Amino acid sequence: MGAPGRRATAWAGGYFLPRDLHPGAWWIWTLGLAVAASRTTNPWLLLTILAVVCFVVIARRSEAPWALAFRIYFGLGVLIVVFRVGFRFVFGGAEGSTILLTFPEIPLPAWAAGIRLFGAVSAESLLGGLYDGLRLATMVICLGAGNALANPKRLLKAMPPALYEVGTAVIVALSVFPQLAESALRVRRARRLRGGTTGKRMHVLRTIVIPVLEDALDRSLHLAASMDSRGYGRAGTARRRARFTTGLLMIVGLIGVCVGVYATLDGTTPRFLAFPVLASGTVVAMLGFRLAGRRVRRTRYRPDRWRPAEIVVAASGVAVAAAMFATSDVDPTNLNPSLTDLSWPLLSWTPLCGVLVGVLPALLSPPPETPHDHHPPAAAGGIPENVPERVRA
Amino acid sequence: MTHPPTRPLTHPPTRPLTHPPTRPLTHPATRAATRPSSRAAVRPRRGRPGRPAVLRRVAALAGAVLLALAGTVATAPLGAHAIDHSKGSPGFCKSSTGVTVVVDFQQLGGTTIVRCNPRGSRGTGLDALKGAGFQIAGVQRWGEAFICRIENRPSAVEKLPIKGNEGYRELCIDTPPAAGYWSYWHAGNNCAWTYSQWGVKNRDFIPGGFEGWSFSLNATADTNPRPRIAAVRPGTSGRPCTARKEPKPTSNNPNVKQPGSSGGTGGADGGGTGPGSGTGTDGDGDGDGDGDGRPDGAQVPGTGQGPTGRQGALPPPKPRAGTADDPGKNVAFTGGENAPDVNQVIKKQSGASDYAPWAALAAAILLALATWVTALRRRRARHW
Repeated sequence: MGAPGRRATAWAGGYFLPRDLHPGAWWIWTLGLAVAASRTTNPWLLLTILAVVCFVVIARRSEAPWALAFRIYFGLGVLIVVFRVGFRFVFGGAEGSTILLTFPEIPLPAWAAGIRLFGAVSAESLLGGLYDGLRLATMVICLGAGNALANPKRLLKAMPPALYEVGTAVIVALSVFPQLAESALRVRRARRLRGGTTGKRMHVLRTIVIPVLEDALDRSLHLAASMDSRGYGRAGTARRRARFTTGLLMIVGLIGVCVGVYATLDGTTPRFLAFPVLASGTVVAMLGFRLAGRRVRRTRYRPDRWRPAEIVVAASGVAVAAAMFATSDVDPTNLNPSLTDLSWPLLSWTPLCGVLVGVLPALLSPPPETPHDHHPPAAAGGIPENVPERVRA
Repeated sequence: MTHPPTRPLTHPPTRPLTHPPTRPLTHPATRAATRPSSRAAVRPRRGRPGRPAVLRRVAALAGAVLLALAGTVATAPLGAHAIDHSKGSPGFCKSSTGVTVVVDFQQLGGTTIVRCNPRGSRGTGLDALKGAGFQIAGVQRWGEAFICRIENRPSAVEKLPIKGNEGYRELCIDTPPAAGYWSYWHAGNNCAWTYSQWGVKNRDFIPGGFEGWSFSLNATADTNPRPRIAAVRPGTSGRPCTARKEPKPTSNNPNVKQPGSSGGTGGADGGGTGPGSGTGTDGDGDGDGDGDGRPDGAQVPGTGQGPTGRQGALPPPKPRAGTADDPGKNVAFTGGENAPDVNQVIKKQSGASDYAPWAALAAAILLALATWVTALRRRRARHW
């Protein structure tokens, strides 16, 4: 997307200059879409969300290892759908009246009442599994998009000081999966170059899995060492008791926030779990933040700023979620299509347009920096060197 | 005192009527083989004109996931009417075959609907409701085991003034609140309405009897409103009530079936799917003899008899406490002949557009193309 970016630069005063956006903006956009997906089982909407996410990821992801893991999330999504539908075959999906096929049912003893193995499978229950699986898959793919678009290391930099302990753990955990994926790709490529592709299955396992695991271990040791040398995990001058209190407050608060967010988003949980728990969890967590923040003093080198592009990206994500919440208030009929009598799911314009707002970042955000703009290209088809980490922290 | 005269009355007429239709469908040996074909005969899978084109376009979009979607959606029959007039008949049942289904909207407003499901074989309460032609919607969480809407009432855009939440709208995702739900009743002919202790899929309807659905708004367990139609078939008033008392559920397991129930799968014509050996505790072992998978001594006299007609198998029918209401006090009702098409109503209520799905599809295809082009360009830029 270099050319349009450069052309646009002329009139937008540097708005479209290639750069990496603030990771928080991408996460807000992603979570907005994930929230929207969680509100609906309408396949039209879910497909549109998927298309929007894929387009934005392909257009705006960088060349970093974590960005390449997106296809793995996509595969995970497909797997989720396949499993959801497959389970309807196995554990009986006779809900509804349009029986598609009938397997012989395996009789189960009386203590297993309520579980059915095989038997009739109806179109309604298959569709139910498909819609449900599609929703979960869309949410997972949205998270994958967040991982692909946002630079986890810069996200760590943007964390409030009080969150360093928790944030470090979360970000290390978040980046393990993309790192593994990247390792696997690298090892496979190297293996292919060595010409050792023919072999028995066990051999393949040994030549891929072991190097990948070893690589992952090496990297985490490196990461730990480098973080240690930069002062992460340093307890400072705080007393043991104070640290315990802060930690307890933060963990309890964060659990409260998680439960509250879950209950707010899931319409089927009791309402007293939603707002009250969310609010009290936030209060407790804030208290913990304050206590922790008081003793942590860290400076930031070249902090990431929120510029107009970041605001556009984040706002479009929020707009998608807001549109879906608004529709579920105004016209909830089609967000969860009825499966009682089979028909094509209906759709109205409001949620569709709302979802399409999510595509704006692909057009209205600066393209990512590409390492190839600055470096001589690697030989085509060769092993790309370890992509230089463009972490300016 | 009442049972000696009723037994001879009810048995001879019902048996010849009920058995012949059920036997071919449900004989254990042929059940598996005949069911698909019998289904096809009852509910022909409606045609799919023009669908392959749609299929192809969708498949191009995102491969396997969408193929699965399109494949399953393509089998969907189009357009059902509010009342499916191909099933059941308006008004009360004329004979003791079949079951009369009463849907009383109570405070929702709307004329009470009375329809007859003429089916002679046994089936669950859900079979009765669907077989009478009513359009229902279950909740997403339990499926059709919990009836959430009947004839699109309460609809998703309708405000239910339930206590504590005046603007409540029924989305049919989770179990509806106790202050606003469809209460489920049943009654034998000439009997008082009884609030069902069983779920709609877990008990069998009473042949010749009544199934009632009455919307309960801000009522307690004691004040749940009965359907305002007396459970009396025209021309039979004054006869005694002879329905057997149903045992209460002994556990909270939602899958436990009423002893002796046919265990239908909830299909509109699924009444023949009961296990060959019923779980009835009062059966005496000739359940397989009549081949309809129904244990003897089931709920209603006159239907549980094998061909041999062993009378000893039946518990004596007991007169029911309470008698039917006075049919003269029935509210006005219709057979649902003029009910609007539920799908049309939903479409109008939701503001759905015919073009929006196409727009969504077009947007998805365009975005997929754009994704592909962008990926190509970026890859070329990388390897240049």
